[in-house]
Amino acid sequence: MLLALHHITKRYGSRLILKDISCTISKGETVLLSGANGAGKSTLLRIMAGLSQPTEGHLETELLPENIGYLGHDTFLYPALSALDNLVFWAKLYHKPHTEAALRPLLARVELERSLHERAGVFSRGMMQRLNLARLLLLEPSLLLLDEPFTGLDSHSSSLLRAEITTAVQQGAGIVWISHDITNDCSMADRLLTLERHRLVFDGSAKAATLPPPIASHPLGSLPS
Amino acid sequence: MMRSSLTIALKDLRLAFAGSGGLAQAFLLGLLLIFVFSLSQDVGQRMDAQEAAAIFWLASVFCQVLIFSMLYGLEESHKARLGLLLMPAPIQAVWLGKMLAGLCLLLLAQLLFLPALIVFLGQNIYDSWPLALLALLLTDIGIVALGSLLGALAQGQAARESLLSILLFPLLIPLLLAGIHLGTACFLPEAPENIQSWLGMAASFDALFLAAGIFLFSFIYTGDD
Amino acid sequence: MPHSLLLCLIWGGALSMAACQWLIYVYAPTEATMGIMQKIFYTHLPLAWWALISFFVVFLASIAYLRTHNILYDLWAKAAAEIGVLLSTLALITGSIWARHSWGVWWTWDPRLTTTLIMWFIYAAYLIVRNLDLPQMRRATICSVLGIIAFLDVPLVFLSARLWRSIHPAVFASKEGGLEPEMKFTAIACVLCFGMVWLALLGIRQKYLAQQHTVETYCLREE
Repeated sequence: MLLALHHITKRYGSRLILKDISCTISKGETVLLSGANGAGKSTLLRIMAGLSQPTEGHLETELLPENIGYLGHDTFLYPALSALDNLVFWAKLYHKPHTEAALRPLLARVELERSLHERAGVFSRGMMQRLNLARLLLLEPSLLLLDEPFTGLDSHSSSLLRAEITTAVQQGAGIVWISHDITNDCSMADRLLTLERHRLVFDGSAKAATLPPPIASHPLGSLPS
Repeated sequence: MMRSSLTIALKDLRLAFAGSGGLAQAFLLGLLLIFVFSLSQDVGQRMDAQEAAAIFWLASVFCQVLIFSMLYGLEESHKARLGLLLMPAPIQAVWLGKMLAGLCLLLLAQLLFLPALIVFLGQNIYDSWPLALLALLLTDIGIVALGSLLGALAQGQAARESLLSILLFPLLIPLLLAGIHLGTACFLPEAPENIQSWLGMAASFDALFLAAGIFLFSFIYTGDD
Repeated sequence: MPHSLLLCLIWGGALSMAACQWLIYVYAPTEATMGIMQKIFYTHLPLAWWALISFFVVFLASIAYLRTHNILYDLWAKAAAEIGVLLSTLALITGSIWARHSWGVWWTWDPRLTTTLIMWFIYAAYLIVRNLDLPQMRRATICSVLGIIAFLDVPLVFLSARLWRSIHPAVFASKEGGLEPEMKFTAIACVLCFGMVWLALLGIRQKYLAQQHTVETYCLREE
């Protein structure tokens, strides 16, 4: 068990965001988090990451903060620093090797080796997200929390991201992944959590959920089950 | 925590010098203030030492409002703040790191302000300048401790510089009085009175607001917007 | 605050304030040097004291909010800050009128008056932060932090103002000086009566804010 949520409720002032959510995330498990806009998915993910505190309930985890990787819409990068300098900064904060020799292979994995010394501010959205991915891989996280990571990415960047996520799963990392494209992504997950009107209305096998069949030959490929 | 704070401070200093002029604005504002106040004097007239010290500290405080507004603004463009919240070190490392960076930048600014005081306000440096230097360091530490705490508080507001100013100035009065009184040691041939009492005042202020920063920063700097 | 207690405070405050006026203008003797203007002291002193106590309530309520995240503590802090700023404004005005009549100047760097002025600036800024367009919880947290810092600063402000004044010898004598027994009694009675009025004001304001909060949350509740 990587993470367990016990009766999590979240309010912003008097506005209810989440009500009495309980679930567990296990090692090597890919969990899809779905729900309509405003259902509380991003908030739940932020609570799992420790970025937001629940109003009621508590989290149980043996993971240290440095074992949790969070990938959202924002890239946590500094536009005025180069790709390498951005990674050096995060590597130092996480007490990882931070020499150019140590970080170059990581940038090569996300195909940014040639842009090593370029300012991140001139990168495209796809390149920024790839650099963000490199930052995430640097941590070697045991739990990956992904908030619609493919939003705004070109197909090449999306493929790269999917491949790295697959590798992480194969290495035993747990993944919680917010998706709006449940039709296609459901077949790639082990479990599905569905939020509706602030509550958890479904928690079960993703493949057992009553969903339309995935579109054949999806252009972005698929994760192995 | 110290290592993380130094990493953040060095990153901030690097970004401050690489930035698009935010630092230059802060320095220029201080210099302008000193120059404008010199217009209150007749040609050839020498300003009273206490008045000169007061203008020096006024320029310093306005300068550091812009400095901390810039330093905390660095974390907002790509929400690097969330990345800092996830780092393994205590969140107070951000407060301490920004404080150290702010202190370096403020000292640099004051290196510029001092010649301006000599040139525009007709001041001379006398033998008691080591006392003035000690007072300067003690006063600067208190200013940046509180500035770093309130800089985080004001971040995200539309008129954050003016908000930071109206919050900071009245709170800093005790420290500024100490800085002004002991600062006259630099510009007068005789040492000022009550040196120990004023040094004690500055040290008490520093201790109080260093403690306040450590205890209260985690409430202000969160992932909840 | 229970409604019955609030009613008692309102009536008690009204009656005691009326009694205070009798004490000030009939019971207390007229001061020989300053004449009838000396009586402004009986208003100025309680205003200053209860302003300080208001800010202490802000301090306590702020700590309570950070510990419990109960919005009611935040409302107590808001009510106390508003009343504190009002009372310190009146204290500054009455203090200035006293100074003008006594020494011919509108302002003296008296440590207590200076501390009141600086506190006014700090809590006026606090009220500005109170009215920022922020999510409720974020605003309450920020104001709580400010409320704690602001009050921690007050003793330092007073000590530094007193130290500053000691370098510049006082031209103006202390406004209290020696008081006749009747004057002392009147002063103490006025402080206590103002206290009742203060408590009533605080209770009324906090009750209003709590009801406003209830109405707003009732409309927003989505359970």
